[in-house]
Amino acid sequence: MAARRVAVTGAGVVSPLGKSLAEFHAALAEGRSGIRRLPESLAQGSGVQVGALVDWNPAPLFNEAEAVNIDRVSQFALAAAAQALAASRLDLSAADRDRIGVYWGTGMGGAHTLEGAYKHVYGAGEWRVRPLTVVMAMNNAAGSNVAVRHGLRGPFANFSTACSSSAMALGEAMRTIMAGRADAIVAGGSEALLTPGTLAAWQALRTLAPADAADPAASCKPFDKRRAGLVLGEGAAAFVLEEESRARARGAPIHALLTAYGNSCDAAHMSRPDRDGQVRAMREALIEAGLEPNAIGYINAHGTATAVGDVVEAEAINVVFGAAASDVPVSSTKSLHGHLLGGAGALEFAVALLALEKGVLAPTAFLEQPDPACRVRHVRLRAERVAPPRAVMSNSFAFGGSNVVLIAERA
Amino acid sequence: MSTLARIQDLAAKEFSIDPKSLDPHVQLDTLGIDSLSFIEFMFKVEEEFGVSVSDENLKGIKTLADLERHIVDALAAAGKG
Repeated sequence: MAARRVAVTGAGVVSPLGKSLAEFHAALAEGRSGIRRLPESLAQGSGVQVGALVDWNPAPLFNEAEAVNIDRVSQFALAAAAQALAASRLDLSAADRDRIGVYWGTGMGGAHTLEGAYKHVYGAGEWRVRPLTVVMAMNNAAGSNVAVRHGLRGPFANFSTACSSSAMALGEAMRTIMAGRADAIVAGGSEALLTPGTLAAWQALRTLAPADAADPAASCKPFDKRRAGLVLGEGAAAFVLEEESRARARGAPIHALLTAYGNSCDAAHMSRPDRDGQVRAMREALIEAGLEPNAIGYINAHGTATAVGDVVEAEAINVVFGAAASDVPVSSTKSLHGHLLGGAGALEFAVALLALEKGVLAPTAFLEQPDPACRVRHVRLRAERVAPPRAVMSNSFAFGGSNVVLIAERA
Repeated sequence: MSTLARIQDLAAKEFSIDPKSLDPHVQLDTLGIDSLSFIEFMFKVEEEFGVSVSDENLKGIKTLADLERHIVDALAAAGKG
């Protein structure tokens, strides 16, 4: 029996660069940044200056009650998943939904709900907390909301490995379909943790970029000598992953094949990245795909714009790609959409698909002065248009030492 | 606005039901309102009126009319009626 392969048949995006895949791709191609000064109501005393917010109004997708009874992170998830399912043209009413699952990733789950409850208790000394607090704030709420909304009764999993969460959700969903345990899975991730308390915690790590004095939108500069840290973002991305022969049989739009998933742990430090752990994850993915490094036509780097992180990733790419490292285009689009943390892997997979499908390589924006310690073939400042490559790679490296690498290939 | 009308208004919003179709004597579970949704709704009702309904009394509430009775009693007990 031929090995089961996994097709990507639909995608949905809720991001600081627009609330659909088309808007997101257009902003990437234009190199338009969604990073802004944070409103005072969010930043408060945290000292955080910039962020990448979704311009979000729950209506018309959610009615008045849903808007307050479903946390922002789940609203993003529901919106992205609905887009992905619609784009896939999968007829759920006719499908065997015992064989369709949801694999989701989020770092903090319902952060707004939890912080709201704490504010009530500790801030106002008011111990009457709303009854939905637990089910709105729990980490699996976003994915569960997607399953409930669409009646997807197959395998369910929720991954919470900080910045690799949603990349892991995609990779594990791929494995589950390959193993024959599901026909299709809605996989992705979401994050919505831009709350005053969470911002204060991030600020304490001394890893966030201050506002660029001349242009706040240009505050995140991965691989640049002037880089000053990451910029937090929010949003969601979802994909319909489907067993290839079934997808072809129903004439589904097939954007790509998700062919490989590398997963390793640094097992070294809670926050400092480790070159060798990243190397293992990239190599594992290449081996699973059966590809030589030079078959990869674009790498969406993790590239958070921290002093150490970008250098380590560039070194890891050089170790894995060897002589090919000077040719394979690399960019970090966090310069444009910010760092979606648990949602980052899924959103950046959508960036990789833009390269794969259309040959549009989104840039590392604002990379005017490449750091010589980050020696890779940068796509910088402006998007490049190339012949669509055969395969693309997306890196997600997380606090806790979790490394996830995905490879997608042309269908 | 009467107490019942205020409760009906809250219920209409919480459960996305047309207020006109909210018969105060219909059993809430027949409207598809489950226990979790009901507890969240009660929280909002208590907030609205600034009173609380005991767990024991809560168990006996099957309709909006039942709820109105308890709220009216609680308001009277609190001297807000």
